[in-house]
Amino acid sequence: MTVGRTLPAAGPLVALGDITKVYQMGRVTVPALQGVSLEIAPGQFVAIMGPSGSGKSTLMNLIGCLDRPSSGTYLLDGQDVSRLDDDELADIRNRRIGFVFQTFNLLSRYTALRNVEMPMIYATVPRAERRRRALRALEQVGLAARVHHTPQELSGGEQQRVAIARALVNEPAILLADEPTGNLDSRSGEEILAVVQDLNARGITIAVVTHDRDVAQHARRILQLRDGRLVRDEPVPQPLVARPALA
Amino acid sequence: MDILESLSVALEALRAHKLRSFLTMLGVIIGVAAVIALVSVGQTARSSVVGEFASLGPDLLWVLPGKAKEDSPFPTEEARLTLTYEDARAIEREAVFAVEVTPMLQTSVEVTGSGRKTTTTVIGTTPNLLVVRDMALQAGRFLQESDMSRRRRVVVLGPSLAQRLYRVPRNAVGRKLTINGRAFDVVGILQPEGGILGVDLDDRAYLPLTTAQQLFNINYASFLFVKAKDVESVSRAERETERILLREHGEEDFTVLTQSQLLVSLSAILGILTIALSSIAAISLVVGGIGIMNIMLVSVTERTREIGIRKAIGARRLDILTQFLIEAVGISLVGGILGMGAGLAISWGISLRLFHSVPTIAATLPVVVLAFSFSALVGVIFGVYPAWRAANLHPIEALRYE
Repeated sequence: MTVGRTLPAAGPLVALGDITKVYQMGRVTVPALQGVSLEIAPGQFVAIMGPSGSGKSTLMNLIGCLDRPSSGTYLLDGQDVSRLDDDELADIRNRRIGFVFQTFNLLSRYTALRNVEMPMIYATVPRAERRRRALRALEQVGLAARVHHTPQELSGGEQQRVAIARALVNEPAILLADEPTGNLDSRSGEEILAVVQDLNARGITIAVVTHDRDVAQHARRILQLRDGRLVRDEPVPQPLVARPALA
Repeated sequence: MDILESLSVALEALRAHKLRSFLTMLGVIIGVAAVIALVSVGQTARSSVVGEFASLGPDLLWVLPGKAKEDSPFPTEEARLTLTYEDARAIEREAVFAVEVTPMLQTSVEVTGSGRKTTTTVIGTTPNLLVVRDMALQAGRFLQESDMSRRRRVVVLGPSLAQRLYRVPRNAVGRKLTINGRAFDVVGILQPEGGILGVDLDDRAYLPLTTAQQLFNINYASFLFVKAKDVESVSRAERETERILLREHGEEDFTVLTQSQLLVSLSAILGILTIALSSIAAISLVVGGIGIMNIMLVSVTERTREIGIRKAIGARRLDILTQFLIEAVGISLVGGILGMGAGLAISWGISLRLFHSVPTIAATLPVVVLAFSFSALVGVIFGVYPAWRAANLHPIEALRYE
């Protein structure tokens, strides 16, 4: 796979400095993140864990440039993205971030192919190249035979693989997965983890948010959040290896 | 995202809800069809009515009872009858340029002939009406001076009235016609004249003015026709008539109208009518626009998650805005095209039936262009707010939306 970038070996890909995020709920302010600092090096595979309400989704959204921090700095590949406007963030998401969601979030009207083409439409990739790259991405997740199926015609595991193809098709710097196996049976979940590990083996930086310790054990590093603070940051000495069930 | 992509995305969305898209479109279709139909029927009516009045003869003047107010060519004190046969005689006697004057006592009554009853316009007038109005007979004779002086009970019929009562107009001569319980002899049948403003000029019965005044117990005339010596002397005839009547009456309790004044004001009235009607139609176009806005708001809410997904994978605000705006404009433009077809068909149908002519392309083109651009504008105006709402959704909240 040719995804992933040739990155400067020196700096971290993601560098969060004393990040806080406060939500305003009417008159009450709810602190979701309180001074989180962390770095993710290129090629890493990080699992972000924590109970619900710990701020792991907020952290994910910030890393994914879906939201801006209330304070603190965020350098993505050396670029300060914490003060960009909405459209600049959209560009960053389009070119540097790949999202995989628990509920797949495919557009149900469109075929797998068109879903995968979508990020390239916003990146104004020419039609022919778009098609070629989408087909190749679907091939790489083992769905070459299913490109003209709509999401309803695909199994959960297949839908999530379409979502992964979509996330990777613009060659992002980092793949963010929010409970990617949460809506899947264990077999399909294992398949997805195998795909993710395979991608990481090819040099793609990956961050997975999960509350499932088993899933997290597939990563090489686990971050623990509690009450909006990073409480533990440790490597996984012996990551589990998902059985590649793909042909 | 380029415009072709936005277009295909919008069309896909419209296709996904065919019935809904069509019903939304229907508002625009009706609005555009109504505007086009009313305006072009109005224009046809205007040119056809102006043509009809022009055909009465450019050397004709009307004297109406009552004084016209400022800014209005028509008298407003309609109830007041001020004109008499003597006025007509006085003008005829003295005037040089007003050569023929015909008083008209006009009323609508029920008549019976050959056992059939019908309501028609009965007009008491003088023999020179034939000259003044350039009318011709197809059978029998017209009213004569002796009919006037002896108050004979004779009547001359328009061909469509004769046909209605006696089936074959020519054979009506010599038959009896009962007006107000009195029997009249049918002495003549006129040649067909046609109609003005949908009024059939052939559905008429003409009596001697003296007989009619006695019959209806009125000493006045409804109005006077004045024929100028020639087209060039119309305005001199007008001044003459005014001068003589002013002297006879001692006050200006009448209004003299020339053909051209009448045409100008008729045309203006019809123009105002057309504008008023099409403004009402334009309101329905606005209502159609509100329908679009409503359905677009529903659509934005329904597709909140889709918007979230698109934003997560890199759609900018403008991308989302264009997508939804094109959808709204698409609905209104397609509606505009369909409404245009319907409107043209309706206006052709109505114009053919009422005025026996079709709207000219020159007359139709501006209104078609106007209605079409108006419908596109409606799409933009009523599509902008929903599209703006969609574009400004926060990606995280949109993704969370169930």
